[in-house]
Amino acid sequence: MSESLESVFADATQAVGDAIIELEGVDKYFGSFQALKGIDMKVGRQEVVVVIGPSGGGKSTLIRCINRLEKHDRGRVVVDGIELSDDVRNIQEVRRETGMVFQSFNLFPHLSVIDNVTLAPRLVRRMPKNEADDLGMQMLDRVKIPEQARKYPGQLSGGQQQRVAIARALAMQPKVMLFDEPTSALDPEMIKEVLEVMVELAQGGMTMIVVSHEMGFARAVADRVVFMADGQIVEVGTPEHFFTNPREDRTKLFLSQIL
Amino acid sequence: MTTVTDTRRTLRPRDGLLIWVRQNLFRSRLDALLTLALGAIGLYLMFRLLRFVFINARWEIIQVNLKLLLVGRWPVVHLLRIAVSVIALAFWGGIFVGLIRARQVRRGSALDLIGWHRIGDLGRRFGLLIATVLLLLALATSAGPWLVAVGLFAAALLGRVVGSRLGSVPLPTALVRLSTLALVITPFVLFLYLVNAVPFAEWEGFLFNLAAAGAGIILCFPLGVLLALGRRSKLPLLRSLSVAYIEFVRGAPLYVLLLMANVSLEFFVPPWIAPSKPLRAVVTFTLFTAAYVAEIVRGGLQSVPYGQEEAAKALGLSPYRQMTRIVLPQALRNVIPAQIGQFISLFKDTTLAGLALGILDLLVAGQAITQQDSYRGQGLIIESLLFVAFLFWVGSFTMSRESQRLERKLGVGVR
Repeated sequence: MSESLESVFADATQAVGDAIIELEGVDKYFGSFQALKGIDMKVGRQEVVVVIGPSGGGKSTLIRCINRLEKHDRGRVVVDGIELSDDVRNIQEVRRETGMVFQSFNLFPHLSVIDNVTLAPRLVRRMPKNEADDLGMQMLDRVKIPEQARKYPGQLSGGQQQRVAIARALAMQPKVMLFDEPTSALDPEMIKEVLEVMVELAQGGMTMIVVSHEMGFARAVADRVVFMADGQIVEVGTPEHFFTNPREDRTKLFLSQIL
Repeated sequence: MTTVTDTRRTLRPRDGLLIWVRQNLFRSRLDALLTLALGAIGLYLMFRLLRFVFINARWEIIQVNLKLLLVGRWPVVHLLRIAVSVIALAFWGGIFVGLIRARQVRRGSALDLIGWHRIGDLGRRFGLLIATVLLLLALATSAGPWLVAVGLFAAALLGRVVGSRLGSVPLPTALVRLSTLALVITPFVLFLYLVNAVPFAEWEGFLFNLAAAGAGIILCFPLGVLLALGRRSKLPLLRSLSVAYIEFVRGAPLYVLLLMANVSLEFFVPPWIAPSKPLRAVVTFTLFTAAYVAEIVRGGLQSVPYGQEEAAKALGLSPYRQMTRIVLPQALRNVIPAQIGQFISLFKDTTLAGLALGILDLLVAGQAITQQDSYRGQGLIIESLLFVAFLFWVGSFTMSRESQRLERKLGVGVR
């Protein structure tokens, strides 16, 4: 790796090439508790960023601010050139362009798998039903469970449910995918099938921000790893950097606990 | 009395009747004593009841007044319209059952019962209704009711077949929309058809109870959902108005509200605009039950995890769609049992309107017939009240059991 790229990777405010997500001085409070403290960060197109850190450190809050599931209190959040504000149209626009995968899947239990996947394209993109169904089946193919299309979420395993959730987010053909601890609620044998799908997605050029402690995943596809604690970005670097010589004591302590 | 060393296994009759009886009824001396005493009392009461129903009761009072009890003073020339409506409703209901069945088959969740199991299931489900119809037929004194009954069963069966056919073949969207619309407006069309002959103000007998309950149920539901949403609204004015309404109505006895609808309305509204008594009853029922429905729906809304709303948001669904497509369907499904319970109350509470508003409903008619010249002073009120209670029980019990079926079919509690 060249010297200039090394410096890019060591700084959260730099992105490789053209930035699709920009956060500038973002603060977020829950009552008197400050969850985010002046976060500056850029994510480039097709970049994969893995966010790690102790719980309560603001990782989830950070990515939830990017699609406005949380409203930030100060600073700027810009997604693909659209700045998030109280303007509802901007919020809807950004949400159309960002897919999100939750720790607890949050599939719609009253809809079949295929309907879960096609709901948003039909309602938000106004896609005709048969076209949406075709698209939905493509997405289910991509996460390798086309045969479950007619079932209901309750009939699937956790790993299958999470893959449906990924397909549901992909069906909106988003420019960015946000993953909020996608494997934390899964049994070990199911983690693998979900990670495989995510790796393929990353290799396919999707821009991804992943809150996860799956170091194998980070090592395989992450361009950058961001370590957050106490609402701040403590350290940024390549996966290699984190595994070989992390700089900060806080990072070392955390890594020694999880590795 | 049980001892500590007992293996506390619940025995069922198939373990052997004698063992079961000994374990459950004669476990100790006290048990045996209680069993014998209560058994004797129970048998005696049963004997009295059966003797009354089958030997002593003078059911001719019901027989003679059957029409008065069922439809009040409905003009005989227009009875045909009621027959047509009943048959059409049976067809309509049959279509619904068929559609639900087809939906289950599509989803692969249909329960396939064969042979005696299927007959047994049908019997458990429709036996009571069929028995009731047969009972009414036995009391009937002309051929008309028989024709209606035959038409009713034929229409229900036909509807069932048509419904499952409609639901199993793919239809063009336009046709689906059209038939959905037809299904939704059928009750209203039938209502207009009846009202065209006899204004709603003159509806009496059991017909009034059924119509008032039906109208109340249809009208209170959307209002209740709106009130529940209002109570959760972020707008303070809307929220406090909803809370005030719900708490006021839930704090007032229905009978008082009905009396107010009867008496006080005329102070505020000129008599020639003031709605008829049955209409006032329906409005009162609607406004009253809506407050309870609102609280039930609120509970349902709270039972849907917040993650559902978040997932909908993240997909870019508008707030309206988040509510109507994601949260409400799950919320309403979770509260079907409570909801039906409320509707059953409403059905029975329609008897309060008779006295409060002076409408000749089933209960008032049942009391009135004992005052007829040929029956006065002969204590026939018991026969009359038993008949009234029986009709309400059949309606309530059927609703309750169908709600349990619906619950199972929709998989309530299965996430």
